[in-house]
Amino acid sequence: MSNVNNNTNNATKRYQNPELFEQLAIEYAVGSMQGRARKRFEALMETHFYLRAVVDAYENKFASLVELLPDAQPSNQVWKNIDAHVQASTPQEEKTPWWKTNFFKQGFGMAAMAVIVSAVLLLNPMTITPEATATVYSAVLESDSHEAMAVTKIQKSDMTLSVDIMKKVNVPDNMELTLWCHPKDGGMPMKMGIISEAGKTNIKISKKEWQDMRNVGHLAISIEHKGENTAKKPTGKILLQGRLSTASL
Amino acid sequence: MEDIYAELLQKTAAGDQLAFKKLYEATSPKLMSLCLRLMRTEALAEDVLQEGFIKVWEKADSFSPGKGRALTWMSTVIRNKGLDKLRSLKTKAAETEIQYEGLEFSSTDLQPDNLEDLSQDLKGLMACLDQLKPDQKECILLSYYYGHTHQELADKMGRSLGTIKAWIRRGLEDIRPCLT
Repeated sequence: MSNVNNNTNNATKRYQNPELFEQLAIEYAVGSMQGRARKRFEALMETHFYLRAVVDAYENKFASLVELLPDAQPSNQVWKNIDAHVQASTPQEEKTPWWKTNFFKQGFGMAAMAVIVSAVLLLNPMTITPEATATVYSAVLESDSHEAMAVTKIQKSDMTLSVDIMKKVNVPDNMELTLWCHPKDGGMPMKMGIISEAGKTNIKISKKEWQDMRNVGHLAISIEHKGENTAKKPTGKILLQGRLSTASL
Repeated sequence: MEDIYAELLQKTAAGDQLAFKKLYEATSPKLMSLCLRLMRTEALAEDVLQEGFIKVWEKADSFSPGKGRALTWMSTVIRNKGLDKLRSLKTKAAETEIQYEGLEFSSTDLQPDNLEDLSQDLKGLMACLDQLKPDQKECILLSYYYGHTHQELADKMGRSLGTIKAWIRRGLEDIRPCLT
């Protein structure tokens, strides 16, 4: 067992060498990394988001090769099958909702409705939404020039928010970087804390902050004056930002 | 050069089925061509194209125009589907339909009139690949378009496995600075 752990740790350490993982990322993108090595690399990409970001960049570079290919027409059946899938997965136009029927318009159903809602809330306090079942959130933070600069991961397992700055951000001595979580529907952001200008920063989050993540639309890192950490929203320039997405359910 | 498919892909992300159909009609011939080379048979190629476009429909909202072009994003999605399927099926070289071999189509020298239609991304990539020795460039292109294993490349090019591995590794090392 300890050998397995050691091997995994060694492999992880190897992939943290930027020179090495860039070389592996380009091999993966071209397709020359194959077999078990490819599977191993995919497993690492699941947990190391910077690997995913670098691979994405190289895949994007090589994907333009498709332009050189001659056209080849697929059979009509392919589109028919795709369309059938799309129709099946798209909600049909709704009929008049049941709560707008005469029964409710006339007010007869309101008492019954109140009873049903109360029963559901009492008997099923763990009301589950898709977002509520998320166990990991992630975001790739980009600069103004759309360059991927940092990856952020928020995990329920250890209630930790981690920010990995892949390319050092130059920050004057009297300034520091602050991470913010902005709600989807606007309003005041959550201030998550000070971020190191290079490498990884881990921030412990509370249960409430984890629950609030389901309402967060994007993350941003601003540059702020040191020691003036009472602001409720960014006062300095936003250097990096990116959309928060659910990484696994 | 304007990304003519980005708007259609963004509308697809918003659930616009008409835009998705237009996107399919415009891009499926190129992507089918890629699937044919990877999968070697029409039936498998059409399976991958179909699964790939369903994934495009489902994941279109993860396309970001700032990170790249719509066609390159779609081709990555579909090619990865193809590579996964190849790995699970272990398609044999014997099943290859002979018309889907070779790299003649990738020679931009042959059709200078068409160069104007190519994206800046592709022109940049080809300039990087042109810095390599012809054998190294051929190995990399065969890996990309056909998903060949190192052993398949060694058999195809009549070289040892070690030589092929070294060509690819050094070739990719050499073009990395040019790509970044």
